[in-house]
Amino acid sequence: MIDPYFIIIGPIFIGMILYLLPYSRIKYVSVLLQFFIFVSTIINYLYIRRSGDQLIPIGSFDPISLISLRYDLVSSLFVSLTSFLFLAFLIFNLHQKYMNSLFLFLFVTLESLIITIFLSNDLFNIYVLYEVSIIIVSILIMFKKEATSIYDGFMYLMINIVAMCFFLLGLGFLYKTFGTLDILRIRDMMPMVSDPKVLIIPYSLIITAVGLKTALMPLFSWLPNAHASKGSPSVISALLSGLYVKASIYLFLRIKEMFSYNIDMSQFFLIVGLLTGIVGFLLATSQKDIKLILAYSTISQLGLIMIGINTGSEAALYGALYHIINHAFFKSTLFMTAGIISDAYQTRNVFEIKGLFKKMPVVAYTTLISILGITGAPLFNGSISKYLIQGSGGGSVMEYGIILINIGTIITFLKYSSMFFGQSDVKPLKVNTNRTVIVIILSSICFFGGIFGREMINALFNIQVQISALDYLDKSLIFLISLLIGYVIYTVVIKDSGFIRKVREFELGFNDVCVSIAVFFVVTAVMTYLKIS
Amino acid sequence: MFDFINGETVSIILFFIGLYGLIARRNVIKSIVSVGIMQVACILFFITANFTEGLQPPLSDSAPSVMADPLPQALMITAIVIGISITAVSLTMFITLYHKYGSTNWEKINKRRAELDD
Repeated sequence: MIDPYFIIIGPIFIGMILYLLPYSRIKYVSVLLQFFIFVSTIINYLYIRRSGDQLIPIGSFDPISLISLRYDLVSSLFVSLTSFLFLAFLIFNLHQKYMNSLFLFLFVTLESLIITIFLSNDLFNIYVLYEVSIIIVSILIMFKKEATSIYDGFMYLMINIVAMCFFLLGLGFLYKTFGTLDILRIRDMMPMVSDPKVLIIPYSLIITAVGLKTALMPLFSWLPNAHASKGSPSVISALLSGLYVKASIYLFLRIKEMFSYNIDMSQFFLIVGLLTGIVGFLLATSQKDIKLILAYSTISQLGLIMIGINTGSEAALYGALYHIINHAFFKSTLFMTAGIISDAYQTRNVFEIKGLFKKMPVVAYTTLISILGITGAPLFNGSISKYLIQGSGGGSVMEYGIILINIGTIITFLKYSSMFFGQSDVKPLKVNTNRTVIVIILSSICFFGGIFGREMINALFNIQVQISALDYLDKSLIFLISLLIGYVIYTVVIKDSGFIRKVREFELGFNDVCVSIAVFFVVTAVMTYLKIS
Repeated sequence: MFDFINGETVSIILFFIGLYGLIARRNVIKSIVSVGIMQVACILFFITANFTEGLQPPLSDSAPSVMADPLPQALMITAIVIGISITAVSLTMFITLYHKYGSTNWEKINKRRAELDD
């Protein structure tokens, strides 16, 4: 096993050296070094898969105040995913003008922060990592210094700092009760808590912060502007939407696991997840900016993942984890191709972009494959994970909810795919080979992740998931019916109504977001209290 | 009689004063100050949470039985540093924002942002 220090410190160290050396060609070296980091995360993943979970202590402190890294199968898999996507983003961005040494430094530092968020077993470390990554992400959002993106980045910074204040106070309450901030140790000490009511406040404080980072129902309004800011580079959008929010979902999973002995709020978050999914697609269908459509559809997919995590069945949990990986691939591809498209057409209005199949066939086909993935079309990766999240038991309310979210996703992407057809006199932009190669690789993963879906899940998570052919056929039929319903709704109702325009203009200001944070906190606390007593 | 006025209650009250500032004030600078108040509240809470009367600072020559818990203090030094840098970064970013939008009011900035979108 390769020392995790190397994987964590490596990117920062590389970034720092590259920052100090003033050669422009140095970015090729960074790709090479990034490749080595990717290989070493794969080696570690294979090692963990062979020999079980590892708890790696940091430094040589006494065992009571030990800080440790938790290397289990899921976290090491996400670490490999992180390093792979960063490699892809670096190659994709190789010839961009803004790709200077400062950008590289911030970019690779963010990589090591995300990797450590996945690995860290100490809540205070996670707090520190999040605070630093918030600063870096907001700088990256406003990197091109355009007026809109400066506002978006600043908004992102302020809202997330407020959330992290909640997180820190929650840690204070936890420390008061347990005397430690180690996730595993707190989990083991949970049965010793005599009165579970003392956990209500820390639980709701921490969950409010994590819920904001995972963009749950009333707390998502920061996400679209940050993820789809006008001036921000398209790799940053891909990185935030495809990867960074997933770290928060993984944190949510661990917090849920940590409190599971005393507090089980699955029902509550099931409903919140469903609402998030529905509101996400409603807002997504109303947008006309292609990047905003993608950002809102991220919210809808996060709701879906939330449902998968909270249903309680193991298959649904692994379905949700697989959907996290799938979403990382197709959403990154969609954001990157959206960047190329908006560069070529000089607009981001979905109604003004026409004839993509004729002008840029490669971009169009990779976009199409990703769309088929995200809508859960048969044979593509989204279908497998959505199948598992839905579960094979038919007829429950939640199953219809998931089908509804999927119809919403289909409507959203029917609107998005109106770019493919029609006539346009825009001169097609020449797309660099590195960009083409990356989008082709990422979108082909969407395809192979569908064909070999079951094998992939079994190999990646080292479990046995059953996918019956008959059920899968059933789900494919449901997909076709949903497609039909979605098409009818799209053409008859939604295409361009006044109501849609009103929904589009709906946006919360900073004060309103703070109100929604406070409301979410109070509601969670009350619900937890009712659940416990 | 005044037992309830301890670090914990004060810090919780401070935290919600900060939250009130975030909800009720439209001035960006005041929002940043409110975040600062919330951070100070967290730090105060951590340091006073398990404190009992008569504990000594965790220095080398005091006996372990009367030592205060050193871990929250170590953590809070980190939190203080982070708090300062966060405040500095947000103020710096606000200067740039002010140059672009010419206002310290969240609503006016938001309105101008919406105009830029069209």
